Amino acid sequence: MDNTIATYAASHIDPEVLGRINERNVEIANGGPATSKLTAALALGSIPIALGALANDVFAQTPSDVMDVLQFALLLEHLEAEFYTRGTQSGGPIPSSESVVFATIRDHENAHVAALTQVIQAKGGTPGAKPAFDFTAKGAVPNPFASGNYQVFLALSQAFEDTGVRAYKGQVGRLMSDKQVLSAALSIHSVEARHASMVRYLRGQKGWITGDDRGGLPAFAQPIYNGEENVTQAGVNLSTLGNGNGGVASVTEAFDEPLTKEQVTAIVTPFLA
Amino acid sequence: MGERDQMLISSTSDLWEPKSRRNFLKLMAIGGSVVFLPGVVTACASLGNIHGGNARPDHAGSGGAGPGSGGTVTIDFAKGDVAVLQFAYALEQLEADFYTRVVGAFGGSDLTAADRGVLADIKNHEVIHRDFLKTALGSNGFSLTPTYPNVNFSSRASVLGTARAFEDLGVAAYNGAGQYLTDAANLTVAGKIVSVEARHAAAIRRMISPHTGDFAPNAFDNVFSPAKVAGVAQGFIVDHLAFANAPSTFVQGPNNNG
Repeated sequence: MDNTIATYAASHIDPEVLGRINERNVEIANGGPATSKLTAALALGSIPIALGALANDVFAQTPSDVMDVLQFALLLEHLEAEFYTRGTQSGGPIPSSESVVFATIRDHENAHVAALTQVIQAKGGTPGAKPAFDFTAKGAVPNPFASGNYQVFLALSQAFEDTGVRAYKGQVGRLMSDKQVLSAALSIHSVEARHASMVRYLRGQKGWITGDDRGGLPAFAQPIYNGEENVTQAGVNLSTLGNGNGGVASVTEAFDEPLTKEQVTAIVTPFLA
Repeated sequence: MGERDQMLISSTSDLWEPKSRRNFLKLMAIGGSVVFLPGVVTACASLGNIHGGNARPDHAGSGGAGPGSGGTVTIDFAKGDVAVLQFAYALEQLEADFYTRVVGAFGGSDLTAADRGVLADIKNHEVIHRDFLKTALGSNGFSLTPTYPNVNFSSRASVLGTARAFEDLGVAAYNGAGQYLTDAANLTVAGKIVSVEARHAAAIRRMISPHTGDFAPNAFDNVFSPAKVAGVAQGFIVDHLAFANAPSTFVQGPNNNG
């Protein structure tokens, strides 16, 4: 680790996490698997934003992994719950024909917040405080809750749902030591995918992601779709499976790709006030 | 004659046992009655409405053979992750075959152009899933023969109702199987597939009931044990599905219905 990260780490990181960083350096020195760059994680539970995730291809899953995932998921669910709560208020952007769709999604996100809060508490953790959100991203995005801005609302909705799917997917590997939390996370993850499919349809898109196509979303949303062009699964290039089956486009659609905690954090941070 | 003129089926697993399955088929042949106790009826009901439009019996692909009447295919959970992947492969074979038939029947059906676009995409995905798992399993793979009792491939209602059942089942199956995977890489791959199945499920449900919340009926999706999934899937497979060394524990998901 370079000096600046080491300095930050010493003052901010849970000692147990620090110990794992040192183990990781030993792993690298011994020719362990290469990973993306390491960034530091804030002490668990103090601030709901994590700057990144430690590589999870090296570390065995531990209860602190589980708690970290739960807190991260709670942050994302808070974001979605508030977004839909504000969007479904009267005078908002949603046409009456789709009011049931978004009330449904809102209710689900609220249920996710409640469930994650309860699980964190049951495990002796303190749920991270809901942060203040700014869904205009400091003016980069028009107010999605204004009555004339349904397309803006829809765009952010798709962005958040597709991000949520990839975020959960990137974290489930850290839950293998706790099958109850793993099963719950999987059951939420697939519901977010249902949301994404529905919202994408309302935007005139397919329910599934083709290549790294962001489907008409603004350029700042591209990181949500980078990596979705992947055609290699379990080390095998599946391109030819598309022959007679919709081509490479279908191969990319058939699998959703994970995002790292770091990547998700970068996507979400602009919407924190 | 010493034969029972009535038999009680208390769960779909009763039908897996050679003796009861033979008896079941025998009773049908001699005009006896079979009483399905509530658990079995519930399992069938979970398929939703698969009798749409002018339903007619269609054992397409089976030469008329009924579900579970074929040879035994055993998934041995002592094989660990391989068994879970074999289980997924069985379901993907079923889905790939189903949607291939759906696409093949477009010409005579009342599916709209928009419907057909969605279903053609889904067919592509399921074939790719199936072929990926076939490659991954290598010599651990096997072929299953599907059968579609009472599915009318020319009826939008029948096709979509059956599709909804398959997609919801696939989501619940992958969600329930995750806990048995020991290699994180396999869990990630399963995760990559299940979210696409969920996208399918929402699309199908939206096609059946637009402008409603039916695309996602619960805040938490189902998490089904392999046994529960097999009990439902068996209704569409000629081969007799069996488990060896089946997991003795199952951790429920939030709906507590696995």
